Amino acid sequence: MTETSISLQDIVLHFPKQRNIFGIISDFFRKKIRRFTALSGVNLHIKQGEVVGIIGRNGSGKSTLLRVISGIYPPDEGMVHAAGDISLLAGLGTGFSPHQTGRENALLYGSILGHSEEEMLSKLDEIIEFSELGSFIDEPLRTYSAGMKARLGLAVASAIKPNILLIDEVLGVGDPNFREKSKNKILAMVKGASTVVIVSHSFGLMTDVCDRVVLLDRGKIIAEGDPQTSIKAYYDLEE
Amino acid sequence: MGQNGPTTPVLRQIGVKSNPLLAPINTLKEVRSNRFLVRNLIRRDVRGRYRNAALGYAWTVIEPALLASVYWFLFIMLSGNPDEMYAVWVLLGVIVWGSFSKSLNAATNSLTGNVRTMHLVFFPRSIFPVSGVGANIVVTMMSCLIILPLLYIYELPITIHLVWIPIGVLLAGFMALGFGMMMAPLNCVQRDVQHLIRFITRAGFFVSPVMWTAEMAMERGAWGEAALWNPMVLPITMVRHALEGKSVELPDSIVISSLVVSFLIYVVGTMIFSKYERGAVKYL
Repeated sequence: MTETSISLQDIVLHFPKQRNIFGIISDFFRKKIRRFTALSGVNLHIKQGEVVGIIGRNGSGKSTLLRVISGIYPPDEGMVHAAGDISLLAGLGTGFSPHQTGRENALLYGSILGHSEEEMLSKLDEIIEFSELGSFIDEPLRTYSAGMKARLGLAVASAIKPNILLIDEVLGVGDPNFREKSKNKILAMVKGASTVVIVSHSFGLMTDVCDRVVLLDRGKIIAEGDPQTSIKAYYDLEE
Repeated sequence: MGQNGPTTPVLRQIGVKSNPLLAPINTLKEVRSNRFLVRNLIRRDVRGRYRNAALGYAWTVIEPALLASVYWFLFIMLSGNPDEMYAVWVLLGVIVWGSFSKSLNAATNSLTGNVRTMHLVFFPRSIFPVSGVGANIVVTMMSCLIILPLLYIYELPITIHLVWIPIGVLLAGFMALGFGMMMAPLNCVQRDVQHLIRFITRAGFFVSPVMWTAEMAMERGAWGEAALWNPMVLPITMVRHALEGKSVELPDSIVISSLVVSFLIYVVGTMIFSKYERGAVKYL
């Protein structure tokens, strides 16, 4: 398995700085677009079967990079290639509806994550069991605690086995008991998926699971290599 | 799909710009391949709307009926004796116009209102305006159930022409979708757009045949004739004539121009949406 799974070539991504129509018009007359560069010239090649971590300070472009890989932000320059279906695990439970039951929300969230109807119906029992919601599954979601919603979110999100799994800081939800279970579940997903990219501040986890860690600073890759080296580079950066 | 079999998945480019010229067709394809998602989003929207209401879905009928009775009262105050069917024509006008205006607002706000979802998952963004409009069409179809008692009260014949009722509703929704998709990316940059659209839907009420009918307009000379060129005349009149047991009776030129305009609005709307949507979401 040495085929390329994700390939980022010279990725540049800008965000507009002028956020109103007057600014856009004045940019137009100055013939200069004022913008904020979130990623500048990122090159990253990930092989199938690799588990890659991305670290960096807040606002260094980690989450943006995952969004570029998943297609949320098409790059302004450069090219992104990926092999197989991609699943981004972030903000568990996006789009939940408080007025529908847990069961209906499982189907809704599953469809938002891109699963087909057959896939969801066949995995529904497994999802309900993992969420540990018991009879609450047929109650409206507004009666749920935050932890219960997070459990349902994780249960749905982890039910699929994508080729490429992108994880953005989703560890540590629910009570300690479930947190352990969810960590194990995510680790199982990491093992199940052929390629994984993780964004996290938990360096312990990075050292445990990642083959390679990339350090991002101000939209550029500063260091790339085995976890220890990159984490050390991160602390050097902090000075 | 999704299985890690021995066959290695093929490398494909992510975030490729699709040709905006193909957008009218691509939008349909995207909705088709994401129909499970569209269905769930519509259900979420419709369920959320009538939550915690004792009368629940009955409001889909009560709301237009109450509105129509107020307009009927207003009309009697202004002009005296209308024909006995007038209250019914106003009711149908209120239902179809209300559907259009709510759909248009939903489509215009479809990108700005779904920021969280857009930042966390990727699927074709046309799904947002389509499901927003779809939810309003579903609610309107429920409102249309009021037609059943009307048929009985006014002893109207049940004919095949009743199929024009859903067709009229769909036509109005189709126009709202095209127009809303035109506006949604611009609304990401400046929210003034949504206020402007809200004003347009309120003002449009008076220049569309809600409180008046196409027949009344035709008796009012040149201004009345000009008013018929409004593309909303066709769907509203279509629904009214369907209840009378006939297919729409408007001058051919009006019917054809309304259909052409609706189609063009959809074509241009989807093109603008597909061209600017990716840039616009960066403003959110």
